[in-house]
Amino acid sequence: MMKTVLINGSPKKRLSVSSYLLGIVGLLVKGEVVKEQVRNSGDYERILNSLVDADNVVFGVPLYVDGVPSHMLAFMKEMEKFCVEKKIRLRLYVVSNGGFIEGSQNKALMQIYENFCKHCDFEWHGGVGIGGGVMLNVMRIMFFAYAGLFVLNTITAGLTAALPIFAEQLFVILFFSCAAILYCLRMGFAVNKGAGYGVKFTRILLPSFLFILAADIFFVIISIFQGGIFRGWLKRK
Amino acid sequence: MGDIMKTIIHDLDESYDLLFKKKYENVIFANGKYAPCQGCFGCWTKHPAQCYLKDALQTVCRQIGKAEELIIITENCYGAYSPAVKNVLDRSIGVSTPFSTYRGKQMHHTLRYGRKEKLTIYTYGHITKEEEKTFRYMLERNAINYGFREFEFHYLENLKQLEEME
Ligand SMILES: Cc1cc2nc3c(=O)[nH]c(=O)nc-3n(C[C@H](O)[C@H](O)[C@H](O)COP(=O)(O)O)c2cc1C
Repeated sequence: MMKTVLINGSPKKRLSVSSYLLGIVGLLVKGEVVKEQVRNSGDYERILNSLVDADNVVFGVPLYVDGVPSHMLAFMKEMEKFCVEKKIRLRLYVVSNGGFIEGSQNKALMQIYENFCKHCDFEWHGGVGIGGGVMLNVMRIMFFAYAGLFVLNTITAGLTAALPIFAEQLFVILFFSCAAILYCLRMGFAVNKGAGYGVKFTRILLPSFLFILAADIFFVIISIFQGGIFRGWLKRK
Repeated sequence: MGDIMKTIIHDLDESYDLLFKKKYENVIFANGKYAPCQGCFGCWTKHPAQCYLKDALQTVCRQIGKAEELIIITENCYGAYSPAVKNVLDRSIGVSTPFSTYRGKQMHHTLRYGRKEKLTIYTYGHITKEEEKTFRYMLERNAINYGFREFEFHYLENLKQLEEME
């Protein structure tokens, strides 16, 4: 049976975009699917051992400063040593996401993974770089909020009243997120076939000037709640 | 103008650290002992330009942001910075603000400390042709992200070359 290890490279314990995207990739992947997360060196041994009999690895990583987060680079160096020594050959796929709207800002990150594959003698099977990751996450969270409201609405006002509202909300969410979701699902197909996926970029389907406006509003709200806006938000420190 | 002329980030050893500290006012030794960024954005939204992790990198973004020139000396790792150096960079996104703008025709954050002169990378260790291409490309991207007007890439055949660095 084919074994695929999904490795989440976000440091966040909960609600990371990377875990969301890996979840979508994993939906259609056949065979044994193992989910892992690298947060510190304590995770290495467990994850490396799960690679021994694996066929595919899918990394889900956030874009940090135009590249791979440092804790992930540290893990990759260990993974290289381990896999070269044990002659483990894998097919590698990557799904990455950045906060900025342009998916192509993930390009350097993809090259880093391609270089990594050469060191490890892995098959570089490509990846997708997604722009607007934070908004993707907001959409996901809103889905659950809307679903909750839908249930409440159905109880109080009946299904015929509640359904059109929910359908519209669902449409908006799916509209903005659909490219990212479809690209991830397609990666699942490629994994099943053991085929190359190529390097692709996609994004939240919103024009960038509107996205920037949305991002600014988002950070103002968060910074009011967390207080940063009153502590020299934009000032030199 | 920045308050500091040059800031240096390196991942070498104690002896190089001492050598640099004699020459430059602001040296950050990426010794690989610091905790990585937790991705919380607190350095933007909660306590601007300060990390919640209380170690020597807590306000490292200020040291980087105030410098006119940033010099990074790093071992090559797949065409990118070594994990130790990358950690310093990840922990320093407080150099920008949470506000967004266009820079280089793409979305980026506005700069807390304004635009800067120059970003220079010296890399050492084994490097392939592809890795050098990746590194140069990433440097260009980083320069836009951090707001540097110029950038330079150098490969060090021999670490001794650093002793003559200005
Ligand atoms: C230290 C740090 C650096 C980042 N650098 C970039 C960047 O260069 N480009 C970008 O588009 N997003 C950048 N981001 C934003 C993250 O990629 C974005 O928030 C992503 O959705 C996080 O994914 P996760 O939830 O899986 O951790 C950065 C975030 C952090 C914390």
